[in-house]
Amino acid sequence: MSALDASQTAEQIGALIGADRVRAAASESERTIAGVVVEPASADEIAELVRKCETEHITLAPFGAARTLAEIRHSQVDVAVSLARMNRVVAYEPDDMTVIAEAGHTLEALNGHLAERGQCLPADPPFPNLTTLGSLIAEAKAGPIRLSEGTVRDLLIGIRFVGHGGRIVHGGGQVVKNVAGYDLMKVMTGSFGTLGIITEATFKVRPAPTNYALALTSFMNTGQAFEAAGGLSNAIPLIHLEIISPGFDAKFGRSGRFLMLAGFGGSGAEVQYLRTRIAEVLGSGAETELLEGADAESAYEWLRDIDVRGAALVAQMAVLPAELGRCLDQCGSEFRAHAGSGVAQMFLGGEPSAEAIYREAERWREAAHGAQGHLRILAASPGSRDDLNFFDEPPAGTLNLMGRMKAAFDPAGIFNPGCFVGGL
Amino acid sequence: MNAGNRDRVAAVSEPARNSIDARLVDELRGMLGEDGIVSRATELKVYECDGWTVEKSMPDVVLRPRNTAEVSAILKLLYQHGVAFVPRGAGTGLSGGCLPLAPVMICTSRMNRIVAIDLANRRVEVESGVVNLHVTNAVKADGFFYAPDPSSQMACTIGGNIAENSGGPHTLKYGVTTNHVLGAELVLSDGEVVQLGGPTEERCGYDLAGAMVGAEGTMGIVTRATLRLMREPEAHRTMLAVFDDCDAATRAVSAIIATGIIPGAIEMMDRLLIRAVEAAFHVGLPEDAGAVLIIELDGLAAGMDERARQVTELVTGAGAKEVRLARDEAERAGLWKARKRAFGAVGRLAPNYATQDGVVPRTRLPDILHVISEVSERYKLQIGNVFHAGDGNIHPIILYDERDPDQVRRTIEAGRDILRACVEMGGSLTGEHGIGVEKMGEMPLLFSPDDLLVMGELRRVFDPDERANPYKIIPMPGACVEVAAPRRQASL
Repeated sequence: MSALDASQTAEQIGALIGADRVRAAASESERTIAGVVVEPASADEIAELVRKCETEHITLAPFGAARTLAEIRHSQVDVAVSLARMNRVVAYEPDDMTVIAEAGHTLEALNGHLAERGQCLPADPPFPNLTTLGSLIAEAKAGPIRLSEGTVRDLLIGIRFVGHGGRIVHGGGQVVKNVAGYDLMKVMTGSFGTLGIITEATFKVRPAPTNYALALTSFMNTGQAFEAAGGLSNAIPLIHLEIISPGFDAKFGRSGRFLMLAGFGGSGAEVQYLRTRIAEVLGSGAETELLEGADAESAYEWLRDIDVRGAALVAQMAVLPAELGRCLDQCGSEFRAHAGSGVAQMFLGGEPSAEAIYREAERWREAAHGAQGHLRILAASPGSRDDLNFFDEPPAGTLNLMGRMKAAFDPAGIFNPGCFVGGL
Repeated sequence: MNAGNRDRVAAVSEPARNSIDARLVDELRGMLGEDGIVSRATELKVYECDGWTVEKSMPDVVLRPRNTAEVSAILKLLYQHGVAFVPRGAGTGLSGGCLPLAPVMICTSRMNRIVAIDLANRRVEVESGVVNLHVTNAVKADGFFYAPDPSSQMACTIGGNIAENSGGPHTLKYGVTTNHVLGAELVLSDGEVVQLGGPTEERCGYDLAGAMVGAEGTMGIVTRATLRLMREPEAHRTMLAVFDDCDAATRAVSAIIATGIIPGAIEMMDRLLIRAVEAAFHVGLPEDAGAVLIIELDGLAAGMDERARQVTELVTGAGAKEVRLARDEAERAGLWKARKRAFGAVGRLAPNYATQDGVVPRTRLPDILHVISEVSERYKLQIGNVFHAGDGNIHPIILYDERDPDQVRRTIEAGRDILRACVEMGGSLTGEHGIGVEKMGEMPLLFSPDDLLVMGELRRVFDPDERANPYKIIPMPGACVEVAAPRRQASL
């Protein structure tokens, strides 16, 4: 942390890049990240800011990544960097199916723009209206359609960020296939603002899906639900394959059982065929309801935006896909599972004690480790955070490499320090 | 180390460049056994270059470890002696990625076991010397495949694919190697064995596996990898569309993509290649055509014929004079054989050839093909084209005779002119072959000094002393195109 107090920091940064670029944190949630918010309008301004911060030992974090980590972080950084002013689409080439946009642009705004040409950026974390492209990348956010489209690491073909020394660095390019130079896109994806501040990204885009439909099937227990999901994903290509636990099923307005939501689409003939195949694979015993058109769309949005605000503990488990059902069964908590991908978010509600939260997290972690996987805490109530391990610790050699990565990209230790894997 | 090798590195001072001494060779021989080491000059000749044959340099010794423990032991020993090394898979690379610019070459070909096949999780764990096609062959009967399918897939290894981030025709729809590598075991240049990524979809911490794939062996030696398997699509339709010229063929590519159809692959061959392939393999390509497209649709059986009809109409509208649909699996296999062995067929046309690997935005394909034909005239060299049209990834094949130094010079300059044009059109120097030594000099066309500096820092996270595959990818400080050219010639 800096020796300067918040008002001194704000004053000095204002003098550097303009007083209109600096403000005090405006809400309680902003204050959990930093007291001072900077809103630069260009990569050059961020470069100035970074150089200043390195000299004065001022810590900083991009807002998007910091906002997610706010649910688990122990302490503030000095300065939050908002990219709200950097929200332009720089270049969109529909015939080449590539788009370049600034990191402050939201996923929803970008997809609105791409939809005019029948295309989309196929990434669907919760609340795309609140998800900036910078945070999509820095947090490696994903949602149900990861099953068919992969995650942001598969879509990102070029990146620009401000790194140490205020260097404006770019990797990749503007073409869909490119192996020139080291893959800085992968380095920045999922780095939570700890290696630099992403300012611009280039993505490959896809044709927007057509005739989206959703098959809903209820099950009495996790075992049955995951067995059916396994059979289905083996038999046909789906857009997504999700399973939610009874608590969420009830919130969805249903009877409170385990619900499988299989999304599919394509041409008229393909959708017709997939409907038939789903019925065949699930067998006559299954109660399957089919949603189409606007009903399917709104159910999908609900699923994508499953809201866990206020939960005492939220974690994400990643295990071998075939083990996910067993692991979730072992944990016995409420969940939303990306069944085909081996990833699930788990929730603990109510107002449990810090001790109970800790025990639950350790239980979940044990289940994940039992299936060659790992657990990441996404949110924990403030009183419980002191003893929780938010990230699993990779093996010593791997963690050592990560430490070297952090040291190479952030020698002054100013980029969102102390909040990532192994305290990086 | 031979003369060319010394010449290349004369400009830099690097302790790791010392030639290897006899006692160290004996120690390595003791460690690996007689069959684990190649040191006779006649046998070393095979290792003097990869598919980029313009530059050659013989290693002092080639090591053939059998497992991770041996790789680790070798690297520990080399590290103690300050000796640099070059990893090598099958040597099918096309950019000089495994050109021995270090005294020791480490070959992964004996580490060729498929360790575990896990169909329930669509994963396979392999040693890095496993041949690409062997992965698909091992799971094909169960309806799965490994997606990256470079033309050399009958020979190239998974380790080499990881180093180069290899692609292939089907990457248009399915992505390149990095999209299919979940985890890897990497031996660092000091011998330490580290695990990058793992079997799960989410990563814990930085994406080290993603950072390492495509690093061209400059971060260490991959000994094992966990790969993702894909479900074989229900149905394919493979068609050959025949055109009078390349312009019409590239227009057809854009017309297909514009409708929102993403075929499994769209490949193009020009007249020179059509004739070479036909002469070599007699697969029934029309020798009077100016260009052909091989278009493969895949997906659900339902609606497939409708889509094939739609594509036929689109390409006919763009000027195709004939569209042939492969009637059965044998015809489909014939078309792919023609495509994947095209490079081999070129061998009949000239003593040597150099394959380029530029990328342009797909809509600029007609422009870059015009540039290539101008370059061909300017340098008086025959250039054929066979490439991944759907990705905008071109492969001009420049024919030359290495016995004529002037042809070699013109070949290098022609290739460079084409790459420069790719970059000017918003493209890249390489889509899947890597930078290697071939395109190092052109890196500043794409990347600023700051970009290159940070890339160098990333490499040194893994390999602080730059012992793994030195003098690749990032141009040496002060080196520029003008300096690189004479050095290249000298190394012939």
